[in-house]
Amino acid sequence: MESTQLGQIPAKATTGAGQGAVDEVDLTPVRTYWQLARQRFMQHSLAVVGLIVMAILVTLALVVPTITGSLYAKTSLSLANHPPSLLNPFAPLGYDSIGMNVFIRLVKALQTSLFVGFSAVSIIVVVGITVGAIAGYVGGAVDNLLMRLVDVVLSLPSFFLIVMMVALFGTGNAIVVIVAIGIVGWTTAARLVRAEFLSLRETDFVQAARALGAGDRRIIVRHMLPAAMAPVVVAATLGIADSVVVEATLSFLSFGISPPEASLGNMLTNAQEFFYRQPILILYPGLTLILVVLAASFMGDGLRDALDPRQRVRK
Amino acid sequence: MATYVLRRLIQAVPILLGIAVISFMIIYLAPGEPIDRFRSGRVSPQTIENLRRLYGLDQPLPQQLLSWMVAFFQVWRVDAWGYSFTDGQPVITKIAARVPYTLELMGTSLFLTVIIAIPVGVLGAVRQYSWADKIIMVLATIGYAMPTFWLGLVLKFVFAIKLDLFPLFGRHTYGDDSIGDLVWHLVLPVMTLTIVSVAGWSRYMRSSMLEVLHQDYVRTARAKGLPGSRVLFKHALRNALIPIVTLLGLTIPSLLVGAAVTEAVFAWPGLGGMGVTAVIERDYPAVLAFVMVGGAMVILGNLLADVLYAFVDPRIKY
Repeated sequence: MESTQLGQIPAKATTGAGQGAVDEVDLTPVRTYWQLARQRFMQHSLAVVGLIVMAILVTLALVVPTITGSLYAKTSLSLANHPPSLLNPFAPLGYDSIGMNVFIRLVKALQTSLFVGFSAVSIIVVVGITVGAIAGYVGGAVDNLLMRLVDVVLSLPSFFLIVMMVALFGTGNAIVVIVAIGIVGWTTAARLVRAEFLSLRETDFVQAARALGAGDRRIIVRHMLPAAMAPVVVAATLGIADSVVVEATLSFLSFGISPPEASLGNMLTNAQEFFYRQPILILYPGLTLILVVLAASFMGDGLRDALDPRQRVRK
Repeated sequence: MATYVLRRLIQAVPILLGIAVISFMIIYLAPGEPIDRFRSGRVSPQTIENLRRLYGLDQPLPQQLLSWMVAFFQVWRVDAWGYSFTDGQPVITKIAARVPYTLELMGTSLFLTVIIAIPVGVLGAVRQYSWADKIIMVLATIGYAMPTFWLGLVLKFVFAIKLDLFPLFGRHTYGDDSIGDLVWHLVLPVMTLTIVSVAGWSRYMRSSMLEVLHQDYVRTARAKGLPGSRVLFKHALRNALIPIVTLLGLTIPSLLVGAAVTEAVFAWPGLGGMGVTAVIERDYPAVLAFVMVGGAMVILGNLLADVLYAFVDPRIKY
């Protein structure tokens, strides 16, 4: 296996005694950082499993609701409490207490969860990178001010604040949920980017870019950001899991997505109401949540090992 | 040390101010006015105007913010944090009344978490890659991925409905104030919280212990012939516990603020549930106080963790 060092010297002349040839060249093909990262990721079997599971979940969430349209909200009392049956390909998980197709609803809920999860993480990443990059690049008073803001946000009782924002700005609105999670969650990404920027600012390649007359924007966007992305990508992947769980919790407490829209959280609220009739209904949304969380965190672990070998945790 | 603590406490004031600014901004930007809940056909505009004056809503926002900051620190005055919109009780009294319930739930859970997770984590680290370790890691990973409220539902279904061993929710059977009844009601919510946090803590403990076991001084201790248990407990464990202090500091706020979700699932009358109810009811005095208390707890928890650090790790000096 290749060493996991970042800075490999691909074409090193060997000066071994007896070889004679002065310019015998190591013919190992030159590989970029990203090729090495992909190789390391692929060697992390759990991460690959996570990636495959996530790909399947995303495909399901994109395809099934498109085909079934608004069926996820259709009730038909004649079908109520129909038990799960693998023989019925249209409703393998049966029908719930008001005759909604559980499988179709579950996939629609998965779509909502993934949509909220990915969107919230996008906000976290964009805000986090912007704040972190400005703080780390400009430094001084600006840095100080922004980092105090980070301290304040970190000290907030985060879940309660999300509940408060969702309750005051519109219960049942997915956009509000996404923005609320984003507003509370950007601090980690900002700290990571700032830390990277503080050290990148002094590196030779950034100094060289500056000496060549590159403007601040060009230095930040073209030179420093790509080099600072690794920890952010890892944090973002792990953030998907957190956001999905927060959304489910909000919807479970009936702050988030409310019926007839489907969410893994409000399906559980519903299942809880019909605890005695069909207890199995609490199983599906919970297991789906666990699957999403596990897939995202395995991918995150794999990405950490692949992108950022310095941060590797001993397993 | 005393000057360090004092300095940190002084630094906490601007952070609390920031928290107040953020909560004020959210309430200010939200549609409607805090006193909207009092409006109805029978309430005259004059009364609304009086209410606005009573709550200081006619003053400029910075002025309101300042008077709230001053009031927040006057905890000795029962009416300092205002009166709840829902039942007219002083907010301080309401919060203080919930603290014991929250403490008995969160305290029991934290205690169990510590005495279960530390041995489990140590076992996993000492017997790394053994069957026991693999089982521990699989269980911990699943436990970590499980949403708390879902675990609560499942436990409720299994132990309260199917097996009928424990009550579905609440803190007491009506009219029964015995300790036995309380413990009986505590079992399921404590189990829920403990399973989730043991999963996190034992993973943390395991990796911390592994880190220490690979250190030179552990090898030295082994090499000079010390018995295995002495190396483990005297040299390794004590150092592996240092990072756990951080975790403890992160847990302190939840000790008082409670676990809103678990409390909701089991209808436990703790602070977390009170906060959520306050938001639903638009009980603004309670909401503001809740955010500030939560923030203060986070700050105090971090401070406590840093102070504890100096005790468990003599290399750290303030």
